[in-house]
Amino acid sequence: MQPTRARTAVYYLILWLVAIFFFLPVFWILMASFKTPNDILAVPPKFIFQPTLSNILDMLSRPNTVPYFINSLYLSITSVSLAIVVSFLAAYALSRYKFRATNFLMFLILSTRMVPAAAFVVPIFQMFNAFQWRNQFGVLMLYTMFSIPFSLWILKGFIDGVSTRYDETGFVNGASRLHVMFRVVLPQVRPGLIAAFIFNLIFVWNEFLLNFILGGPGTQMIPYALAVGLVSAGGNIDWAFVASLSTGYVLLPTVMIFLFQKYLLVGMTFGTVRGEV
Amino acid sequence: MIAVELQNLAKRYGRKQVLKDVSLTVESGDFMVVFGLPASGKSVLVRLLTGLEAPDQGRVILRGADVSKLSAGERNIGYVPQSFALYPHFTVRQNISYPLDLARVPKAEIEPEVQRVAGLLGIQDLLDRKPDQLSGGQKQRVAIARGLIKRTDIYVLDDPLVGLDFKLRERLIDDLKRTQELLKVTFIYTTSDAVESLMLASKIAVLDAGEIVECGAPEALYANPQRVQTMHHVAFPQANLTPGMLRQQSGELLVETPLACMKFDGERPEKPFGDVQVGVRPEHIRIGAPPADGWLTHQAKVLLREDLGGEEIVYLDVNGVVLTTVLRSDDQTQQHVEIDQVVRISIPPQQMVVFQEGRRIGVCKVSE
Repeated sequence: MQPTRARTAVYYLILWLVAIFFFLPVFWILMASFKTPNDILAVPPKFIFQPTLSNILDMLSRPNTVPYFINSLYLSITSVSLAIVVSFLAAYALSRYKFRATNFLMFLILSTRMVPAAAFVVPIFQMFNAFQWRNQFGVLMLYTMFSIPFSLWILKGFIDGVSTRYDETGFVNGASRLHVMFRVVLPQVRPGLIAAFIFNLIFVWNEFLLNFILGGPGTQMIPYALAVGLVSAGGNIDWAFVASLSTGYVLLPTVMIFLFQKYLLVGMTFGTVRGEV
Repeated sequence: MIAVELQNLAKRYGRKQVLKDVSLTVESGDFMVVFGLPASGKSVLVRLLTGLEAPDQGRVILRGADVSKLSAGERNIGYVPQSFALYPHFTVRQNISYPLDLARVPKAEIEPEVQRVAGLLGIQDLLDRKPDQLSGGQKQRVAIARGLIKRTDIYVLDDPLVGLDFKLRERLIDDLKRTQELLKVTFIYTTSDAVESLMLASKIAVLDAGEIVECGAPEALYANPQRVQTMHHVAFPQANLTPGMLRQQSGELLVETPLACMKFDGERPEKPFGDVQVGVRPEHIRIGAPPADGWLTHQAKVLLREDLGGEEIVYLDVNGVVLTTVLRSDDQTQQHVEIDQVVRISIPPQQMVVFQEGRRIGVCKVSE
């Protein structure tokens, strides 16, 4: 049956309603960051108001806010970059040298990401405490480790897709293994590198629990600041601060997702669905 | 001078013995085609020769020196891999110059070399494109150019024309042959295509199930195949094979086939009885009455005709055995046929080659 115009319109209406329903909280927080504290809590909610930048300026002027942003950016970008370097080397090895237990090893590595963080946060805390790793280096290493499994899976999928004939053509012409890895294979898996980077960057950016438990000054990220901002006021939540911090916080993932949508699909399918990238 | 010598190469993967005791000598300036059906071990042979893998046994000798222990890069072989393997992130020019770049040839010397091989293969105007902007045939030319630019005297081409369409292949065959003759270098070329083998080779080595069963000039192999695989596969269309039986009757050896019972002509084999195979080439099966005495004749039904333009392949049912024959459209002496028509065919018995356990033991002769 061909959908009629009316039928199509109904479908779209339903889709829009569902989408708007789920977008409402985000919309509320975005709006709130431009409202005065009185407008934020007004009942019924105010849709038409005089927008103000004072919340955002106030948020940025508080002593610890900018360091939270810097921590978030530093920890996520550095750890994911390190993870990508390690994962590329590992993925090349696992793709080209057919170890007997490759598949099992790949499963084991991925399984570390299947366990919920709440399940292992206590032993991790004790270990990091004992080794005195509850500092920037320790948290950086933790996030690097945290980012390796998905990066490895994505990159192995991509490197498997690069025929070994490319490698061999290099070898016969006198290329070294490193040349083949970095000059022959690496340029061909660039979409995989981007996918792995974006995918894990968002993961680390969003991570809260481990940061909250392990973190200290110098490692606390925005999710920590949000949680503390919510509870510290003792029942009297500073909505203007929370809203403007949230708006700043969702900015990076939103821009990233908008710019790199096609790579996200690659990430979620571990490089097995490559689509247009 | 001997350019390449493979001595008793063997390679096994797990339980599968892919190559067993392969020995091959290639003279300098030869166009050696290693013919083998898919999975006969051609690619493994190339891998051992180029040094991409080490043999379990045996030695590889290039230009008189044992290179078995040298890595692929140290063997100085020009290489055209199967299925192009052009680097997608390089331009055509960068792809072609790649072997020279790796060898750290000065930039000033590279460009004239690129122009030279590009000219050889007619791809001068493609140099600034990326591989994904090329057609299949153009990609193949680029891959061949990249193989040929290397400053060496031994080139290995691993089934380079596989998957290309018929016309394109024919043109590239001509180009390859001409190029090899021009450069006076040694080519080792693997293929599973009989036409390529016969058109290109100065020598053909027939690889079957990991062994080189026969090696020689294409004309000799075609005229006088010693192995049933050679007769059957190194030909287009393939040679007909019919099952047969060798037996003795009053001191004479007879070959019994579904077509006829014929006398055996050849040295008395060690085992003068049992199963044999009888091969006959399509062009030796004639439709119509025999032009001379002593030919074998039989009734046959036309099953199918494949028109190839200049010639036609006709499938015939002879006593339940399917035989093929080729008719040239301009041959007025041959009868034109239609499907389901019953015709008379004639075959000269000396063209019916008898193989026992895969080896040629003789031919047939007509019984009086």
